[in-house]
Amino acid sequence: MRCPQPTPQGSVRTSAGKRVLARGAVTMTLLALSTRAMCLVAQPTDLGSLTLEDLGKVVVSSVTKNPEPLSKAPAAVYVISHDDIMRSGARNLPDILRLAPNLEVFQTSPGNYHITARGFSGNNVAQNFPNKLLVMIDGRSVYSPIFSGMYWDDQFVLPENIQRIEVISGPGGALWGANAVNGVINIITRNSAESDGGLLAVRVGNLESSAAVQYGGKLGKHAHYRVYARHVRRHELDDANGRPARNGWNSPQVGFRVDVQSSPDDTVMVQGDLHDGRTDQPGGSDARNTEADVLARWQHTISDTSGLQLQAYYDHVHRRDSNDGGSGFALDTLDLELQHSLAVGDRQQLLWGLGDRIYRYDITPRIAEASSLLWDPARNTQNLANAFVQDQVAINDETELTLGLKAEDDPYSGVSLMPNLRLSWQPGRSTMLWAAASRAVRTPTPFDEDVIEKLGTAVFLTGNPSFKREKLTAYEAGWRGQVATRATVSVSLYYNVYDDLRTIELSPTGLPLIWGNGMEGRTYGVEAWGSSAISDWWQLGAGFDAQRQHLGFKPGASGLLGVAQAGDDPQYQGFIRSMMNLSDSWTLYADLRGIDALPDPKVPGYVELDLRLGWLVNDKLELSLSGSNLLHAWHQEYPDGNRISRGVWLDARLNF
Amino acid sequence: MPPRSRRTRVRARIAGLLARLGVRTPSCLFALLLACASCEASPQPAPHPQPAVSLEYAVKATYLYKLAPFVNWPPATFESPQQPFRICVAGDASFDAYLQQAVAGRSLGTHPFEVHRLETLTPDSQCQIVFISRLASQTVQEALEAVDGKPVLTVVDSTEPHADGGIVKFVIDRGRVRFVIDTGAAARNHITISSKLLNLALAVREAS
Repeated sequence: MRCPQPTPQGSVRTSAGKRVLARGAVTMTLLALSTRAMCLVAQPTDLGSLTLEDLGKVVVSSVTKNPEPLSKAPAAVYVISHDDIMRSGARNLPDILRLAPNLEVFQTSPGNYHITARGFSGNNVAQNFPNKLLVMIDGRSVYSPIFSGMYWDDQFVLPENIQRIEVISGPGGALWGANAVNGVINIITRNSAESDGGLLAVRVGNLESSAAVQYGGKLGKHAHYRVYARHVRRHELDDANGRPARNGWNSPQVGFRVDVQSSPDDTVMVQGDLHDGRTDQPGGSDARNTEADVLARWQHTISDTSGLQLQAYYDHVHRRDSNDGGSGFALDTLDLELQHSLAVGDRQQLLWGLGDRIYRYDITPRIAEASSLLWDPARNTQNLANAFVQDQVAINDETELTLGLKAEDDPYSGVSLMPNLRLSWQPGRSTMLWAAASRAVRTPTPFDEDVIEKLGTAVFLTGNPSFKREKLTAYEAGWRGQVATRATVSVSLYYNVYDDLRTIELSPTGLPLIWGNGMEGRTYGVEAWGSSAISDWWQLGAGFDAQRQHLGFKPGASGLLGVAQAGDDPQYQGFIRSMMNLSDSWTLYADLRGIDALPDPKVPGYVELDLRLGWLVNDKLELSLSGSNLLHAWHQEYPDGNRISRGVWLDARLNF
Repeated sequence: MPPRSRRTRVRARIAGLLARLGVRTPSCLFALLLACASCEASPQPAPHPQPAVSLEYAVKATYLYKLAPFVNWPPATFESPQQPFRICVAGDASFDAYLQQAVAGRSLGTHPFEVHRLETLTPDSQCQIVFISRLASQTVQEALEAVDGKPVLTVVDSTEPHADGGIVKFVIDRGRVRFVIDTGAAARNHITISSKLLNLALAVREAS
């Protein structure tokens, strides 16, 4: 880690060329404060007396090397660093996302989770799922356009390859892609130059066994590559009533990444993944989820203050359930994006971009005696286009104004305009105040417009061809500061005004029911987190969220299923986390989290503890013993969800 | 376009939120950091933060001169026994301070170590070792090309973007500073590296 020079604008060198790197690069532009804190923690010894061999044994990164983001981004951003992930021992994305204080994570089965930010966790009875989040892996949007929600069992990144995860609660701003309503999760993997050599990671435990192998190296003079293969088996859990759910889950996955520095000003990255997951089902064959993706990105530095990025990806998803008459869907997505960033004068940084996503789906209806799920049309090709422009204006040395506007053209509701305005004020190097007002929409999906549900032979519910966008106007403010050389804090407040939220309405004849936009309301809350280095070898962190929802039905709405259909969210949640370097080779991680009860349907709150003891046996081998949810035999996280039981596992990681 | 009064109200609302924030945050913050004993320290940064405490930099600086005995430069490198051994820092000014401190009073045989900081690495820089980091005026590749074929041990830092092509590359491996050696690049610069150093390297790249 470099010690930044005391120039107040430490990020000036981070030119536009870099700003265009990834939409998430907002948080990357300035970590100057936290890196400076890092530089103050180590204690030089008399290194001159050490041999070369011993020099290689000096531990230079301490637990305080946790880059708490003190970025300039005027938003509620929490960054999960590579080191956090390694210390926690979490090996799949949803468990890693539990590290972010500004997300709600509910595990419902061995492979599936509900994840949301700032409420709206959904309701199974109302067929409402968390659908207001944008999730991206290296610039590839992975939420499903069929219903705007996530299949978390389709997303896996080898934890060793994750560089960082930026979690933004609230509308991300103009430069984010579609569906960034309540939050953005941006997963960024390491350049393949950083994963040279071999890696073998094996886990055995009562709930999960997995193995991963990876090898990386150089391809000629200017390119690096890595290839990996991984298999995970998660054992069945008990259902909400305590009976075995017979829902064990397997997912083998392979993938690669190649990074080419084709000239000093040009980089090209190509990556791809393929997996074939299978979930056991009681009394029948497995449900399968297959996914394949390939992405290519070209980044070109035009000048010190200007850069260009062109990205394309193709993604294929195929989910099917032969137990259920072969129902499921195939989804093919082709996405193209262009971004250009340039400085305008000394005080303005302009970023604009265009994107187009074509997706084709082919849904096999579920036809069963009791209830059927059909679609009209069941097969379709649609287009989602967007354009955005953002201008960052330095009003003076301390104040920056960001103006953004995004236009999105979706196949159902046409063009939506999403403006946002952000203001940040940095009165000193160690503190920043920000405020933002933004508008975001969740655009209609096939599930909102085209679905037909039958009970027996009677049509029970249909999509609504005039379904409107769900709208959010968000007001946010926040404060981030370095309160001592070794402590950082972030506090964000939000006040969200929603309109046209999805509800179930009666058609003129009563039945069938029809999707409508009959709910409105407001939510507000606070998100706070901080971390502090108690000493060179011990760091403590804490996070806390509180939220309130005031939702109601608009005049004329049916009010069916009540406002609880929007979500079943805890009013409070929080954690305390401790990371220790016990010695050069032993580390201890502890995380105590508490989640308030879910109000309706009622699910008791819980407090749980995760621990991990890591032992660096030698340069090549690390062994660790971890336990998750250690305080109770089981707890439940979501209505009707599985009982999540205590987990214990042993991990070995070998570098070769 | 919303009427002006409404915009003003929104502005006032934001301003109100900010004002409330300013009043309320200190108490929240200290509640959060109950256990933090060192919190009372003022966050005022020193005007010139002393970089002399970064262990990572100190270790890298120590490596730089400790590598020298295991590297063979061409015989004509030194004109006289008293000629200083030049270690150059191309770029990073704060690293320069560490290196000055690390080599103070030390020498390689009869050649006292001398540290030079360069803004730009040129073919006539006359360095035996050059550490390339945070160069403002050149890319790493341009710096390396400047001394290509010259008897210079090039050292790059993996924290640098596109830090490839140097003879020695520092990498952080599980919190420790280690290095990778490219013997092909060494041969191009007419430098040989002892097997002891190669054995200590995390990886050795042969000529490609």
